[in-house]
Amino acid sequence: MSTDGTILAQRIRKSFGPKTVLKDIDLNIASGEVCTIIGPSGSGKSTLLRCINGLETIDSGVLKVNGEDFGYYETDTAYHALPPKKLAQQRTRVGMVFQQFNLFPNMTAQENIMAGPVLVKRADKKQSAKRAEELLASVGLAGFGRCYPAQLSGGQQQRVAIARSLAMDPEIMLFDEPTSALDPEKVGEVLAVMKDLAKKGMTMVVVTHEMGFAREVADSLLFMDDGCAVERGDAREVLSHPKESRTQAFLKQVL
Amino acid sequence: MLQTVSHRNGSTRNGTDPALKPRLRRRSTFEYVAWVVCSLIGLGILASVATNPNFHWDVIAQYFTEESILRGLMLTIFLTVASMVLGTLLGLGLAIMRSSKIKPVAATAGVYLTFFRGTPVLVQLIFWFNIAALYPNLTIGIPFTNIGTALDVNALIGPITAALIGLTTNEAAYMAEIIRGGFQSVGKGQLEAADSLGMSAATKMRKVIIPQAMPSIIPATGNQVIGMFKETSLVSVLGVAELLQSAQLIYARTYQTIPLLIVASLWYLLMTLVLSYPQSKLEKKYSHTTSRIPRKAKKVVLTAPEGIAR
Repeated sequence: MSTDGTILAQRIRKSFGPKTVLKDIDLNIASGEVCTIIGPSGSGKSTLLRCINGLETIDSGVLKVNGEDFGYYETDTAYHALPPKKLAQQRTRVGMVFQQFNLFPNMTAQENIMAGPVLVKRADKKQSAKRAEELLASVGLAGFGRCYPAQLSGGQQQRVAIARSLAMDPEIMLFDEPTSALDPEKVGEVLAVMKDLAKKGMTMVVVTHEMGFAREVADSLLFMDDGCAVERGDAREVLSHPKESRTQAFLKQVL
Repeated sequence: MLQTVSHRNGSTRNGTDPALKPRLRRRSTFEYVAWVVCSLIGLGILASVATNPNFHWDVIAQYFTEESILRGLMLTIFLTVASMVLGTLLGLGLAIMRSSKIKPVAATAGVYLTFFRGTPVLVQLIFWFNIAALYPNLTIGIPFTNIGTALDVNALIGPITAALIGLTTNEAAYMAEIIRGGFQSVGKGQLEAADSLGMSAATKMRKVIIPQAMPSIIPATGNQVIGMFKETSLVSVLGVAELLQSAQLIYARTYQTIPLLIVASLWYLLMTLVLSYPQSKLEKKYSHTTSRIPRKAKKVVLTAPEGIAR
């Protein structure tokens, strides 16, 4: 069976100095699954997401992304960090969307989208430009290719950022609070793009405060608190009938 | 419209509209005193400079465009441009080394910076000029074989070469810090975005970090150019016939020390003024960097309405 688009985490631990931010996290995400991670701030949900893209390294545990050990290779005695080229290659298969969009301000929307294919995969420029236009159209921004990020609204920038990640043809897309930095009326347009992506069968892990999105689009949900995976299950089930008391307390506050 | 009408009606007895009267800035007594005192001091200095025969304005006029002075000026400009270009390139290398995760590389750049910023340029210049005392022969060849040639360092490093090496190595240290500061001004999110796309370190540097660091590097570099222009006068101690040394050579002959120093100073002043105009333009252009739209962007005309996601 193909392992593309799967994420497997077993007893992941991660500390920043004396503070343990991930405590023995287990997570199993199937191909095409949309998993939302919710929890109070500082619960480690962003850190977990960043580990899956190699922006943070884990201290111990097993992390397999697309069926491969991520960022490390295993020998009898230890895990050894991969050379940068290999790590970069693994990263190209995992797209990441940031809270602050992080578009390159010195490039146009189109150049941003072409950055991955052209600068990393050494793809043909003309083809990449054409693909970029298609991607822009698919996020509802046809004709905006020549705009610089500073000329776009937050919602538009975030959609360009999603298109930029999609240009690498990743099997997995990670979203780190993609709508938290947006004006309320711009949230919908970004969520619409994400919904569309979920429908197309993309494996997605979404850290979010949008309970509506979790309920409507997500297959599964993980509630984290203080570095622990507290509750995990079907998204609608957990949101309407949380089993754990900590989940109940959190949901009571946000819903 | 209604409002305008009501304002009109409210005009005062003498006919002027109170809403249109100018608002005047307050002028303190100190301001008037300052005008008078500073003007008097200025006039006094001007009169003294103009009437004091020891200034020898005729001599200044005579030597201002003297061939050897202009030659010196050219050499000064050459030294400024060459040492700035080379210094910036070396500085870029040092800045990249300094930001390296590999400790010995970062430490090497650190030692370089400490050394070259911690000793006076004048000392460094004299040091390079006398480098032959330390290493009389430079051998170029393949190690552990007899193939290669030995070069006489004294012949290799003449005054101009020594000046160029001295100014460049020193400038590189300062440029490295300016460039590194520029690198640090690039947001962490930008680096993470580049990483998440799988960019290599070199691509990230070339396409993401350097273009975004430029706005903070360029104005500071402009300042360095102006500083370097004046700093080149130090190489006169090596006997390099740049602007100051050219003036010195003349007054050594004619004993007209002050007029010739004024000639040199006027040229330095003139060139500095010429350089500071583009510098202030650059500073203005790059002052608000965060939401700066690249110049090319002006051509973009948005014809489509706000893009709408389905």
